[in-house]
Amino acid sequence: MKLATMIGDVRTSFFRKPVTQRYPFERRETPERLRGLLNWNGENCSGCNICSMDCPAKAIEVIVIDKKAKRFVMHYQADRCTFCAQCVFSCNHDCISLDSNGWELAALARNAFAIYYGTEDDIKYVLAGPPAPDAEAPVEG
Amino acid sequence: MMEKTANEQFTVPIGPQHPALKEPGSFRFNVDGEVVTGATVRLGYAHRGIEKATEGRNFVQNIYLLERICGICSDIHATAYVLAVEQLAGVEAPPRAQAIRILVAELERIHSHLLWVGVAAHEAGFDTLFMYSWRDRETIMDILEGLTGNRVNYSVNLLGGVKVDVDEQQKDTILKGIEFLEERTKHYLDVITKDAMFLQRTRGVGIFTRTQAEVLGAVGPTARASDVARDVRVEAPYGAYKDFPVNMITEKGCDVEARFVVRIRELFESYRLVREILNKLPEGELTARFPRRIKPGEAISRVEAPRGELFYFVKSNGTDKPERVKVRTPTICNMTSVVKLAVGHQLADVPMILVGIDPCFSCNDRAVSIDHHQHGREDWSMEELREYGIRFYHGHT
Amino acid sequence: MDILSDLFAILIFPSGLFLLIAGLLYEWADRKLLAQLQNRIGPRWFQPFADVTKLLAKEEVIPTGVNPYLFVGLPIIALAGGLTAALYVPIGGVAPAYSFNGDLIVTLYLLSLLTLCMGLAGSNTMDRFSLVGATRTLTQLFSYEAPFLLALLGPAIVAGSWQISQITNYTNGHWLVLTQPLGFIVVLIGLMGKLELPPFDAPEAETEIVAGALTEYSGRGLAMFRLGKGIEMVIGLTLVAAFYLGGVSNPLWFLVKTLGLLLVVAILQAVLARLRIDQTVGMWWRYGALLVLIQWLFMIGMRVAI
Repeated sequence: MKLATMIGDVRTSFFRKPVTQRYPFERRETPERLRGLLNWNGENCSGCNICSMDCPAKAIEVIVIDKKAKRFVMHYQADRCTFCAQCVFSCNHDCISLDSNGWELAALARNAFAIYYGTEDDIKYVLAGPPAPDAEAPVEG
Repeated sequence: MMEKTANEQFTVPIGPQHPALKEPGSFRFNVDGEVVTGATVRLGYAHRGIEKATEGRNFVQNIYLLERICGICSDIHATAYVLAVEQLAGVEAPPRAQAIRILVAELERIHSHLLWVGVAAHEAGFDTLFMYSWRDRETIMDILEGLTGNRVNYSVNLLGGVKVDVDEQQKDTILKGIEFLEERTKHYLDVITKDAMFLQRTRGVGIFTRTQAEVLGAVGPTARASDVARDVRVEAPYGAYKDFPVNMITEKGCDVEARFVVRIRELFESYRLVREILNKLPEGELTARFPRRIKPGEAISRVEAPRGELFYFVKSNGTDKPERVKVRTPTICNMTSVVKLAVGHQLADVPMILVGIDPCFSCNDRAVSIDHHQHGREDWSMEELREYGIRFYHGHT
Repeated sequence: MDILSDLFAILIFPSGLFLLIAGLLYEWADRKLLAQLQNRIGPRWFQPFADVTKLLAKEEVIPTGVNPYLFVGLPIIALAGGLTAALYVPIGGVAPAYSFNGDLIVTLYLLSLLTLCMGLAGSNTMDRFSLVGATRTLTQLFSYEAPFLLALLGPAIVAGSWQISQITNYTNGHWLVLTQPLGFIVVLIGLMGKLELPPFDAPEAETEIVAGALTEYSGRGLAMFRLGKGIEMVIGLTLVAAFYLGGVSNPLWFLVKTLGLLLVVAILQAVLARLRIDQTVGMWWRYGALLVLIQWLFMIGMRVAI
C-alpha cells in the first residue's frame, strides 16, 4: 500500500511544458487520411446517382442536365455531410474524394455550405432554376 | 417547510441532470443519513427512435446511423450490423478485411477502457489520474485518426469489407503508440492496486457476488470481475477472432477494484492482440462484391463491445431496406446490478458503483415495459399504446 | 485621524479590497499550480475575477421554502467574518492592524464562522443535495477544528502568549517546522480540511452532491461565498506561514512563504484522492488528534526538562 502513487508523474510534469495544443496559434500536421470536405471531379461521372442513394445524411444530389452529353452538376450540402466517406467507396468511377485539409469549416452564413460542383455554365443553368411560365413563347391567339 | 419525522427518509435524485452522470438517466436513492436504503432507476432519456429510423434507410445508410448509437463504442455497433447483414446476403468479407475489422475493434476497446479509467477516477475524486489517463488516450485517438480518418465514428466498415488498409508506416505508428501505452498502463495498474487513498474508495465497495452476477445476467467486465467467465470473443468467436484467439480475463474480487483490474488487464490483452494482428495480417483484398438487394431472412450477430455482449437482430424482406433491426446493448443488462448493489452502501459510494458497470446511457435507450396484469398479452397495437399513454399521463399529473 | 486609519484598515488594507483581490489571485495561483502538476494549461490570471464579475451580474434566485432573510444574509455574514479575521493576522507581511490578548481564538472563531454559515446556508433549503452537503460541512467542521486549533497552539505555547502579534514576534526567525514537525503536518492537513480542498472536499463533492451546501446559491450570494473561500485561503496560509515557517516579516517573505506553502498544498491536492466523509472524520479523530497530543507532550516535556 503506497501513498501518493502519482507523485512521479506530478514531479515530471511540473518542469515540462503542458501537453495542451494552443490552437489556433499551434497547429498539428493533419493526417493524410483525415476525412474532410468533399471534392468532386466530374470527368468520369456517369450520373448513376449511387452516391446520393447511399449517403446517410442526404447531403449529395447529382443534378442531371443532360445524361447523354454528360452534363452533371453536384449539389453538395456541407452542413448535412457527416464525412463518412461512403460516397467515395460507392462511386464506381472514382469521382469523389475527401480533402484532408478541409476541416476548418466554420462560416457566418448558411449559404456558404451549399456547394455546387461542375462547369461554370452548368452551375449557372442549375441555379437559374426552371424558366418562369410567361417567359415561354406566347401562345398564338 | 420540511417536517422531519423520526424515520425520515430523503430521496436523493441522481439525474437526469447530474455532474456524476455523463448522460441522462434518472436514479432515485432513498437515503437515511448517508446510507442508501432503496433505489430505483428510469431510463429512456436518450431514446432517439433509431430502430424505427433504420427501416426507412437502405442497408448501406444504416451502417452510419447505427454507428452513431454510441460515441465510445461506435465501431463495434457497425461491425455487429455488418456481420449480420453479411450473414443474410451469404457474403463473407475477405480475411484481410476481417483482420482489419478486429484491429480497429481492439483499438476502440483500448480507447474505451482508457476513457473509463479516467471517468471512474474523476468520480472517485482523483482528478490527477483522470487527466493523465485522458492525456494518454490522446495517443490512441491519434492512431485511430491516422488509420481511419476520424477520432470518433471511424466508419471503417463497409458491407463486405473495410475502407482502409494498413501499410508499413501505419503499422510502425501503431506499434510505437502501443509501446508507449503499455508502459503507462503498467503504471496505472500500479496506481490502482496500490494507492492507499484510492483503494479506500474502491476496495470492498459494490460487492457483486458470482451468484448475483449469474442470476441478474451481467455481461462484460462487470461479470468478469465477479468470476463469471463470459466473453463472446472466447465463447463464440466471430470474424477473425477464430484466427487470433483471445484469453479470458476474470478476477475474483467482485468489488469495484476488481472491475478496475479486469479492464486494465484487458488493455494488456488488447495490446497483445493488436501486435499479433499487425504482425500476421493476411494478404488479400479489402472488399467483396455485395448485392444491393438482400434476400429475405433473419440473422443474429453477437459481438463483444467494450462494455459486454452486444446483440443485433436484422431481418430483411428482399428489398434494399431492412425490415427490422433490433439492438440489445450490454449496459441494459448491467443496470439492474446498480439498483441492487446500492442498497446498504454510503451515498458517496453510489457514483463509484454506477461508474463501475461503465454505463453508456445512449446505448441503452431501448427500454420496453410490459404490463402483464392489465393485458396479459405481449404485443400492443398502436391504438392500445395510445390509450395507455393517455391513461398513464393523466394518472400521474 | 483614528477613524480614517480604521476605515483604511477595514476597507482597503489589510482587509477589504486588498484582501478580496489577494483572495482571487491566490485562487488563481492554486488552480494554475494544480494545472501545471496535471500537465495542462490552467486558467488565465483574470479567470477568478471574471467569475466573480459574472456572478455579480446574474440574478439571485431565491428558491421556495427557504427563509429569505437567512438566505440573503448568511453570505454577507460569512464574508464579514472572513474580512474581520484578517485584521488580526499579519497579511501582506506587515504587522496586524489590531491586536489584543487572545486574538488567536477570535481569529479562528471568525474563520469557523465562515464554514458555519455555509453549513447553515445548506440546511436552510429543501434541496436534498444541500442538506447532505450541509451535514458533511458541519461534520467536517467538528472533526478538524480541534486538531487544527491544537496544532496552532503549539507555537503559542512556545511563545507563551495567545496574541498573534506576540507569537509572530517570537517565531520571526525561528522555524518551528523543524522543532515541531508533527504539529506542522497536522496544521497543514487541517488547513486543507478547513479550505475543503481535495482530498477533503467531500462537502462539495461535485460528482455526488452537485455543489454541496451551496447548490441553491447563484448570483450575489454565490459570489460572496466564493470570495469568502478565497480570503479564507489567504488568511489560513498566512497563519501557518507566520507560525511555522519563521514568520512573515516583510511583503517579500510573505509572498515567498505563502506561495511556497501553496505549492505544497497543490501537490497534496494533486496526488491524493477524495476521502469519504466518514473516512475524514475517522482519520482526524484517530490520527490527527493523536499526533498533536504527542507533539504537545513532547513540548511540555522539553519545557519541564529545561
